[in-house]
Amino acid sequence: MKKHLQDSRLKMVGFDLWPEFVFSLETSRSADHVGNVRMKKESLILHVRKWRKKATIGMKESKWEYEIGEQFAPRNLDAEGLMESTSNPIFARKDTSLAFQWRVRNLPYPIETYDVTLNNDTRQVTVRTTNKKYYKKFDIPDMDRAQLPLEPANLSIAYGNNTLIITYKKPKEILQMEKEIQDEFKKLKASKEGDVDCTPS
Amino acid sequence: MPTGAHSHIRGLGLDDALEARNVSHGMVGQLEARRAAGVILEMIKEGKIAGRAVLIAGQPGTGKTAIAMGMAQALGTDTPFTSIAGSEIFSLEMSKTEALTQAFRKSIGVRIKEETEIIEGEVVEIQIDRPATGTGAKVGKLTLKTTEMETIYDLGQKMIESLTKEKVQAGDIITIDKATGKITKLGRSFTRARDYDAMGAQTRFVQCPEGELQKRKEVVHTVTLHEIDVINSRTQGFLALFSGDTGEIKGEVREQINSKVAEWREEGKAEIVPGVLFIDEVHMLDIECFSFLNRALETDMAPVLIMATNRGITRIRGTQYKSPHGIPIDLLDRLLIISTSPYQEKEIKQILNIRCEEEDVEMSDDALTVLTRIGVETSLRYAIQLITTANLVCRKRKGTEVDVDDIKRVYSLFLDESRSTQFLKEYQDTFMFNEMGSEPAESAAMETS
Repeated sequence: MKKHLQDSRLKMVGFDLWPEFVFSLETSRSADHVGNVRMKKESLILHVRKWRKKATIGMKESKWEYEIGEQFAPRNLDAEGLMESTSNPIFARKDTSLAFQWRVRNLPYPIETYDVTLNNDTRQVTVRTTNKKYYKKFDIPDMDRAQLPLEPANLSIAYGNNTLIITYKKPKEILQMEKEIQDEFKKLKASKEGDVDCTPS
Repeated sequence: MPTGAHSHIRGLGLDDALEARNVSHGMVGQLEARRAAGVILEMIKEGKIAGRAVLIAGQPGTGKTAIAMGMAQALGTDTPFTSIAGSEIFSLEMSKTEALTQAFRKSIGVRIKEETEIIEGEVVEIQIDRPATGTGAKVGKLTLKTTEMETIYDLGQKMIESLTKEKVQAGDIITIDKATGKITKLGRSFTRARDYDAMGAQTRFVQCPEGELQKRKEVVHTVTLHEIDVINSRTQGFLALFSGDTGEIKGEVREQINSKVAEWREEGKAEIVPGVLFIDEVHMLDIECFSFLNRALETDMAPVLIMATNRGITRIRGTQYKSPHGIPIDLLDRLLIISTSPYQEKEIKQILNIRCEEEDVEMSDDALTVLTRIGVETSLRYAIQLITTANLVCRKRKGTEVDVDDIKRVYSLFLDESRSTQFLKEYQDTFMFNEMGSEPAESAAMETS
């Protein structure tokens, strides 16, 4: 993340009263993607990181892909054609200061149903259910970017209130990096420079 | 059902060895010309001919346009095919060269790779509810599963319609393209193989997909350079593509796009597909256009140019010089020339028969023979016109099959070209402005520039 802060052109908008920092990342992932990052000022935890492909000739701008956080845009069924029903499990990443955390809400089955494994070859976490109702594969982009090895021991799950919580403890390298960034931010004052694309959809 | 003059053409009607079958794909006769077109087609498919040009020459009504249409059909939907008439480029809104440039760029495709999201799974349940009041929007839910998971989707109106149209039911394995909403039925699930009822012999059984329902898939789609031009010319916006009213596009925009496309090509993101530009009635172009064509054919991104003309040795528009087909010699020199010859009686009969089928007209054998005779003596086009009119007359008398009397009736109602000429010769004095009768008719009608 530190590296990202340095090598991407960070534009910062925000007012002193606004509770979060909002950035657009222009070059950090690849040349044809733009990103948007939001960080809570109080806790200095990222609560949104999203990407989308830049509009190119002959193609539409793609939708935001949420790496962290979730989309709260209103549902427009007719424009979308079909959408996952709200009764389905909802998957979102919501980090804490010490761990990467994913929450799958709307899962009514007991904790024995879930089987969460880490595959070191594909660097992906797989969630399986014994009753074959839910299945999800996801990677941990922060670990990939920092090129750190994945430790199955750091992965744990918890269940409660119809929600499955998958936690991966941040290794010390990541914690160190985040601390440096947070220190930078504590020094920063929000400027009022330029407009940034922060529309919700 | 509306039918165009060449709607019955499905291809060139050639076998694998490029030999023309006598009657195939809606094409009849013209074996030599069709074989020549087939050779050119093969060269286009191998990408060898880009920047070269072909001329189809022949008398009126000998199937020049039909051969061009057949080539378009045989090339498939992935190769851009643009068809214009020579007179189309003369417009007040844009210059001749702009119109030609646009036609050229419409005929060059750019194949772009793109990632899209698709949903692939077995239909567990599909439920579409009409509101209790009887009117208003339908509400639908679709449950899909893979071997690992199950998800319920809410359906929009369009998706409900297309699911109903595709007759999607529980047990089908389908894919849905999220971006376009296109539904593809892959087959029936193996677990349903025992439901013997209600399935045809051609039902295909497939395995239930594995893993996640939503998958990323690389798709390839083709856009033309012209479409890219229009989208990127600031003043227009992509809406101009729908209205067709694109106006002139600035040279700088085109240059930018050319360099961008070249860049993509090097990065492997895009591929150039040289298509086909067909200019019918090419003798309507003038000397400026011909010199433009000469130049345009030399650029490295040029499509295959196919031209058709029914003129012999005639004046080149915009000059005083005469030249074969009304085309300057220097351009003619670059062309491969295919010639078509008048149809035989047997072939005319077959074409008329195909047209009858295409227009859903039942015709008795006698009537067809009479019509063929008319076709031989007047022209094929006139005979084809009579099919439609005779069918109408037949329907008015509540007949089911067009017979000889119907043909006779329309033959007396509508004059063909030679009878009309004859008529005019006899009664010219009674028409207006007959004092100008001594003027040669052709030069007045042809010269517009």
